[in-house]
Amino acid sequence: MSQLFDKTTSALGTALNMRLLKQNMISSNIANAETPGYHAKKMDFEEALGRALDIDGLRGMSTSSGDHFAVGAGSVSKVRADIYENPEGAINNDGNTVDLEREMSSLTENSIMYKAALQLINKKLAAIRYAATEGR
Amino acid sequence: MSDFVTGFRISSSGMAAQRMRMNTISSNLANINTTRTPEGGPYRRKDVILESMPDSRNFGEILGVNSPRADMQRVQVTDVVSDRKAPLLKYEPDHPDANADGYVAYPNINMMEEMTNMIQATRSYEANVQALQASKDMALSSLEIGR
Repeated sequence: MSQLFDKTTSALGTALNMRLLKQNMISSNIANAETPGYHAKKMDFEEALGRALDIDGLRGMSTSSGDHFAVGAGSVSKVRADIYENPEGAINNDGNTVDLEREMSSLTENSIMYKAALQLINKKLAAIRYAATEGR
Repeated sequence: MSDFVTGFRISSSGMAAQRMRMNTISSNLANINTTRTPEGGPYRRKDVILESMPDSRNFGEILGVNSPRADMQRVQVTDVVSDRKAPLLKYEPDHPDANADGYVAYPNINMMEEMTNMIQATRSYEANVQALQASKDMALSSLEIGR
């Protein structure tokens, strides 16, 4: 691949955007932990991102000419998050389904995963910088 | 696309709602023995009504031209309602607010109920602070990209 920023960097960028979206969603769940009738939301993007990356190489079709359309693995930047009402968790007397403990733990997890993706991007950029400065 | 400000705004709406709730609890506890009010009769227990609403961030969304994302809901105190429970009647014939039979109407406020609500409001507030803190940490660490 001739690009300076490869698939991994754009995947990490998408992961950061998704983590941010998830962070806002969890904040929304926490803010509404006592709103009557509020249903907790849940978000999945890992599978969609993995499919777009085509890590196992099963879904994408190989192209032998530049005129061919890429079939199967889509663009990493086109990954969309799947947000739905969390089916787990008991319904309170007031119709609220937010489990505050679970939200707090996913908040922490999300925050750590965000920072992990950030570190990986920084490592990639550091490697590029190392090459650009001829190892100085 | 979502941004950090959305998370800040949602968490702060949660904090504002819980603070409002805390204020009504303080009001209820302060007025636990109040027999006189401007509208007449004993003090009536106040309670907040919380409502979730889509987080609108620009004019188009606020004016209803564009529809905001339904996934990101902030919380708002839409109303503060007075409790409709009957007041507690105590026989105190010497009290200036006693009725013809010598009974004084006291607010029907359960101290234990208010205290547990207070703990709940405190914990919810703290949870929102934690969420805001986590968003802030993420926003700050994203400034370190490429350093």
